[in-house]
Amino acid sequence: MAMNLAAASFTSWPVCRPRTTTNHRLYHHQHNTHKPNISLLHHQHSILSLPHRTTTRAATTVDSSVPLQQEQPSSKKYYFVVANAKFMLDEEEHFQEQLAERVRLFEERNMEQDFWLVIEPKFLDKFPKITSRLKRPAVALVSTNGPWITFMKLRLDRVLCDSFEADSVDEALTSNPAKLQFEKPETWVAPYPKYESGWWESFLYANSEKQVA
Amino acid sequence: MAAEMALAKSISISKLGNYPKPRIPQTKFFRISMSATSSKPDTKSSSNKGAKKGIKESLLTPRFYTTDFDEMETLFNTDINKNLNEAEFEALLQEFKTDYNQTHFVRNKDFKEAADKMQGPMRQIFVEFLERSCTAEFSGFLLYKELGRRLKKTNPVVAEIFSLMSRDEARHAGFLNKGLSDFNLALDLGFLTKARKYTFFKPKFIFYATYLSEKIGYWRYITIYRHLKNNPEYQLYPIFKYFENWCQDENRHGDFFSALMKAQPQFLNDWKAKLWSRFFCLSVYVTMYLNDCQRSAFYEGIGLDAKEFDMHVIIETNRTTARIFPAVLDVENPEFKRKLDRMVEINTKLLAIGDTDDSGFVKNLKRIPLIAALASELLAAYLMKPIDSGSVDLAEFETQLVY
Repeated sequence: MAMNLAAASFTSWPVCRPRTTTNHRLYHHQHNTHKPNISLLHHQHSILSLPHRTTTRAATTVDSSVPLQQEQPSSKKYYFVVANAKFMLDEEEHFQEQLAERVRLFEERNMEQDFWLVIEPKFLDKFPKITSRLKRPAVALVSTNGPWITFMKLRLDRVLCDSFEADSVDEALTSNPAKLQFEKPETWVAPYPKYESGWWESFLYANSEKQVA
Repeated sequence: MAAEMALAKSISISKLGNYPKPRIPQTKFFRISMSATSSKPDTKSSSNKGAKKGIKESLLTPRFYTTDFDEMETLFNTDINKNLNEAEFEALLQEFKTDYNQTHFVRNKDFKEAADKMQGPMRQIFVEFLERSCTAEFSGFLLYKELGRRLKKTNPVVAEIFSLMSRDEARHAGFLNKGLSDFNLALDLGFLTKARKYTFFKPKFIFYATYLSEKIGYWRYITIYRHLKNNPEYQLYPIFKYFENWCQDENRHGDFFSALMKAQPQFLNDWKAKLWSRFFCLSVYVTMYLNDCQRSAFYEGIGLDAKEFDMHVIIETNRTTARIFPAVLDVENPEFKRKLDRMVEINTKLLAIGDTDDSGFVKNLKRIPLIAALASELLAAYLMKPIDSGSVDLAEFETQLVY
């Protein structure tokens, strides 16, 4: 059974750490607003446990006796970190390893992929505060799993992050493709070659769709 | 955790009172290894089947750590500390619960075959590599296990992450110890737990030290992995094939310490923090460099030049560390490497004195000028112009940054 690890449960996951200390309270507040909605809580809990257990837990949420307040909206929340393409795809080599590791995990556990790389994403137009500080071309890592993006922000650090809602994946991940070419580093002292340019292609949304088809 | 921290101990930052050793953990795996504890420390490899052994102590052996657990409890008490970014810790908890390497550490028959083929000096060198790595991982297990236990009440999330990290470390140590069994040896981890000296670090020093240990561990493992992937003729033993997934654990552990430090900005945002950051960077880099230069045969055996390998690891670790420490060393300045190389020369002379037939008194006398020379090189390296750094979530330069 294909599982979506993320689910739409993180509708208000505080993806970015504000530079003020109010974050703490904000987070608690959001937790509370979720309390009446049992199915959401279930989801939130289940992603924190081992995914193979998730399968059974997610199933039990169906017969929850507490009625849902409303039909779930069809739009989903997408979380992202973004920086210039050179940083994301050329300089941070561990980033490639992380994505590969996660794809391996999702395959092993038969889960549906919920993260993608997007070159020059269209959604950036909605974030002038971000684009004003961004070198182009830019690359975003987008996921429906808010906590994972928070983790990726912690790892990459030199990235900006935010979230948005979209009605479909296609809408969320539309990109203005740009040809990416990075100059070879002047000095390369590592006792191994760099990861081959283009490693990112299998993580692009367009490509992951093709693979499914 | 790759414990590359011995030098900080020798420079002796803090010897404060008698802090408790972590309790001896009662997990299944380690109970087995504790069952037959008859060996004495320093019984060097008799090649008896299944011989359990201690480890030869020296200045640079991987150490065990303990800390002020009460202070840790206070630091992560959510009622007291409002800076705790719970979203970050929840995200980390999810990441650790995911358990990427749950089914990764499965051995096959290639291990024993490769070990049997390895003869002569390389065999001994390999055994030492496995022992040291196992001790370092096990050291992380003990510390994290105890922290997981102690923080349960005041901060269950942080406590659980520590427990999950000790799961990883136990796995790594166990895998390495099984590797030793291919050489008909086993480290007696139960005995080590009781018998080895523990180095005490205050919590803030634990953060700096373990952060660096984890990140440098990542860079060491991934470098070896990627090198061997390209040069499979040096793949002497299959354990290296596991390093790619393995070191992702180390990297994540480092991220957790990053989050812990961000939750304690007082450890990151003043001039003292900058001095300590530089001090710990230097201790860790120098310890590794001196250690590995003593073991260049191991690196040659897998097709690496110890000095080149280490410089690469130091530069990358330093770049990573600049994402969180408020100051790092200018390790890419060629002068830094020159200083390291001079320290290696001095250290070689120091070691040579130990091997002579002189009396203890004469040996010590001969050591004095060398120790002074080493200290002055260390000081000079420490005082080299540092680089301002830090997480963009905290650093002042953030407003000028273009991403």
